[in-house]
Amino acid sequence: MSVEHVLTTCPYCGTGCNFFLQVVDGRLTSVVPCKTDEISLGRLCIKGYNAHVFVQHADRLKYPMIREGEQLKKASWDQALDKIVGELEAIKEKHGPDSIAILASAKCTNEENYLFQKLARAVIGTNNVDHCARLCHASTVTGLLHSFGSGAMTNTIPEFDNADCILVTGSNTLEAHPIIGSRMLRAKEKGAKIIVVDPRDTPLSRISYLFLSQRPGTDIAWINGMLKVIIDEGLVNEEFVKTRTAAFEELKEAVRGYAPEKVEQTTGIPKEKLIEAARVYAKADKAMLAYAMGITQHSNGTDIVKGLANLAMVTGHIGKESTGVNPLRGQCNVQGACDSGGLPNLFPGYQRVDDEAVRTKFEKAWGVNLPAKPGLTLTRAMNEAATGKLKAMVIFGENVMISDPDLNHVEEAVKKLEFLAVSDIFLTETAQLADVVLPAACYAEKDGTFTNTDRALRMVRKAVDAPGEARADWVIACDLGKKFGSSGFGFSSPAEIMAEMATVTPIFGGMSYEKIDSKVVRWPCPAKDHPGTRVLHTKKFTRGLGLFAPVQHAPPAEVVSEEYPFILTTGRNLFQYHTGTMTRRSPKLEREAPEPYVEINKGDAKRLGIGDGERVMVSSRRGAITLKARVTERIVQGTVFIPFHYAEAAANKLTNAALDPISNIPEFKVCAAKVAKA
Amino acid sequence: MAEFNPTILAFCCNWCSYAGADLAGVGRLQMPPNIHVIRVMCSASVKPEYVLKAISGGVDGVLVLGCHIGDCHYMTGNHRTAKRMPLVQKVLKEVGIDERRLRLDWVSASEGEKFQKVVTEFVGEIKNLGPNPMRGVKW
Amino acid sequence: MVNDLGKKLARLAFEERGADFLLVMREEHGNVAPAMVSKGEDVGVVRLEVPYQLVTILENIYPWISKGKIAVITRRCDEKALAELAKRKYVDDKRIIKIGLACTEEQIERCRCEDPVPSHVDVGEPHAGVKGDELSARLAKMSQKDRLAFWVDQYKKCNKCFGCTLTCPVCFCDDDCVLEERTFVAEPSIPPGLSFHMVRSYHMIDKCIECGECERACPAEIPLLTMRKLLAKDMKEVFKFAPGDEKTVSPLNTTLEGELMEDECNER
Repeated sequence: MSVEHVLTTCPYCGTGCNFFLQVVDGRLTSVVPCKTDEISLGRLCIKGYNAHVFVQHADRLKYPMIREGEQLKKASWDQALDKIVGELEAIKEKHGPDSIAILASAKCTNEENYLFQKLARAVIGTNNVDHCARLCHASTVTGLLHSFGSGAMTNTIPEFDNADCILVTGSNTLEAHPIIGSRMLRAKEKGAKIIVVDPRDTPLSRISYLFLSQRPGTDIAWINGMLKVIIDEGLVNEEFVKTRTAAFEELKEAVRGYAPEKVEQTTGIPKEKLIEAARVYAKADKAMLAYAMGITQHSNGTDIVKGLANLAMVTGHIGKESTGVNPLRGQCNVQGACDSGGLPNLFPGYQRVDDEAVRTKFEKAWGVNLPAKPGLTLTRAMNEAATGKLKAMVIFGENVMISDPDLNHVEEAVKKLEFLAVSDIFLTETAQLADVVLPAACYAEKDGTFTNTDRALRMVRKAVDAPGEARADWVIACDLGKKFGSSGFGFSSPAEIMAEMATVTPIFGGMSYEKIDSKVVRWPCPAKDHPGTRVLHTKKFTRGLGLFAPVQHAPPAEVVSEEYPFILTTGRNLFQYHTGTMTRRSPKLEREAPEPYVEINKGDAKRLGIGDGERVMVSSRRGAITLKARVTERIVQGTVFIPFHYAEAAANKLTNAALDPISNIPEFKVCAAKVAKA
Repeated sequence: MAEFNPTILAFCCNWCSYAGADLAGVGRLQMPPNIHVIRVMCSASVKPEYVLKAISGGVDGVLVLGCHIGDCHYMTGNHRTAKRMPLVQKVLKEVGIDERRLRLDWVSASEGEKFQKVVTEFVGEIKNLGPNPMRGVKW
Repeated sequence: MVNDLGKKLARLAFEERGADFLLVMREEHGNVAPAMVSKGEDVGVVRLEVPYQLVTILENIYPWISKGKIAVITRRCDEKALAELAKRKYVDDKRIIKIGLACTEEQIERCRCEDPVPSHVDVGEPHAGVKGDELSARLAKMSQKDRLAFWVDQYKKCNKCFGCTLTCPVCFCDDDCVLEERTFVAEPSIPPGLSFHMVRSYHMIDKCIECGECERACPAEIPLLTMRKLLAKDMKEVFKFAPGDEKTVSPLNTTLEGELMEDECNER
């Protein structure tokens, strides 16, 4: 009889809590928090405590399948892999390598994502590799890359404890990143002032010092408004601006028209509150900005992120302990999937594919010629699939049929592909449409690393065997690589993959399994003896001087009209996770939030004659869904909120695939909808 | 200033106190209208969870009425109630809610007048205590 | 690698007391982990200053261990927890070997513990308990209104992680926890209302042995242990009962004359 407690990383959000998976004779029995973990401090959220439940669920995919007409039939690994290679080679031959796209996975390890992008680039010959970061923090990557030269969280999770002001915007932290939210609560107990800017009343806003509620789609207005107050009241950190930044004059000019009265008109935020928020943030000793989807998922998301960077730079709240611009990344390894090159324009470590020197380095390392043209982003790839230009996709661990915007369009696009292969742990809505389905191992069944939102590489350790014939994605990627005839996939362990990554990725230069096995190491870690980096931009920004960006308010792509009078905003709830493939198979989580719902303001509901719990139809120009109404005071009038977790009433049927031109992130947070009794 | 009209739940057991309540009604005994009677088979089926949920949700007072000790139709049901309710009162007290908002008493099927007396006293007491402070609390 | 403490415990558990398994805490991957060591296996570098709730872990794995004796590192509170579990037949105490651990002064202070010395000390130096909990004293002086405001403020931070129930050694209704039922906790989102915490308080009143694990597991750092201590005091006053003794029965399971009734926790 064996009992083991395997230290691993949570597969849910980007906080990256570590805990022990309790295994008794190969059976996962429980999750035990790790009391010495610096990120979680021995605590977890309800999803973490249930992270073992879906792993050995009966629905797990156990063998490969190949489509025969309407059905998916069981096949052997060789048959399935040969089919994929055969189809892709034929399509490549006929239509060129850029007619194929690979979707890497924010749920897979760094090592696996490295191999996915290597497959795309070195084997298929295309830069068409992307993943779901496109849907969430793509604006962060582009925005902060522009402002600072590095698109990652500038400080670390433990530092929240010691901030004396935390400005949280576009993040329902206590529901989406509970353990990070609990750090904010700790800061509050010590006297920190928490300022929340959000159109919705959230658990965090209810205990905040100041709560500013803005109309969705007006973020640059309030940010510029705060900047103007800071400039006008002499709260600018002159020393910092002079020595560490560039383009301040352009910024000053850009925010001239954002007087608090005008901002109130645009955003709905009372001017006294805006002024106070600006003063509290600027005058604080150590102020941190924390943000998530409410900032990024807009058709001008990149600009909004640059706006936040402006705020941090103008006050000098960056490059020091307990300050900075802190994007809270959603998936357990979305940071890592970006770091490992799962992006169409960037190699691992954010090195550009169109930079000749960089490309030459990779060509030498991998022994093949590499494509120079940046590839398609996920959102553009869907469009190209719909028009028939993109012919094939290989999707690793992503359920586009629920997570992408404008699902009816996505369904069209996916069905039009000549070939679709999906590797996943359950038969998701996307896998159901595939020509080949591969059963993958989940986090509990393989070794590897996840990078959490504060750049720490966290180990994922195998606790139990994968069910049936399921294989780890790194094994699948190696098998595919070998079948394609490539010699760059002869890895016998994830540690070896990490070793190769370290040779071509300066930010990972000093990473190795020996090092991170017992220490928390954050990138950049360029050399073997380097301890990793906690706070970024301490002496200079990654790009040298921080760049102020003069951004202007722009209305969302789709505004309300007479026919569609409500603003629809979408998001998460605490108990379910993303498309629900894991949480809906966990009874205790499902029980807490079993049904889809739409949050509607009490006043609006009364006007429309809708009672709490009644079925309503919510529709937009793109589709319609029916679900229960949750009448509440927790949302502003004129806006409704739908969590996107429920396949049976998929919020994304309604959302708008209007893209931010720079980051290509869709505007999930604003579109126009109408609500009627069903 | 509007007079405070409390909302009070009275859990009455089928065999004794509910019959007693009936008797009070039939006898047209004057009683304040604030009582909502909930008939249960035995006072022991009043789980502490119901009481705590009610008070947490803003109910101003909860009365639990069972058979006299020794007369319970299910033998020891009212013994359970006698043990539980004082502890529920302590839970209320420690969190800052007046424990007098919960009252346990025994009323037999023939005690219509006692029912009237208990109810009238309790409503008066709750009126003195004022509205349940949980009423204003926004979660 | 084994440290001296590990060697001592292994010898004590396996050689002197005839255990087949030892539940202990040790270093792993730069952290401290709970571990179930089989006889003959390397015990590792044992660390006892990190307070994992080993009785909870024991309770989780016990149903899978059909035979053999299990040695557990037990502090005084753990002994009491085992007594409560044994009483209700969740563990067979003939199969449990207790290795008594005396808490350090720092741990005693952190738990505000009045009863920190196990019945038999095998490891550690015994220290005296401390009297009184600073927060309890503050609350006792507050008006009822202020006390309610304090607790509402604290409980509003609750995120329904269920950490308090999952890490609690005497919380054993794993699959049918009443706190999960909409019937008793109405709010479909967070924070759960006051009823969640009051119901839990009531359930714990005849079982809690004040190990403090709930408070340590709470991400919102709600002073749960203080509430437990306040109610433990009330329980003593009302029924002269304190949990943790295998020979005594909870007053909730006896008639007014002290006769045994069906355990109210078995009521579904």
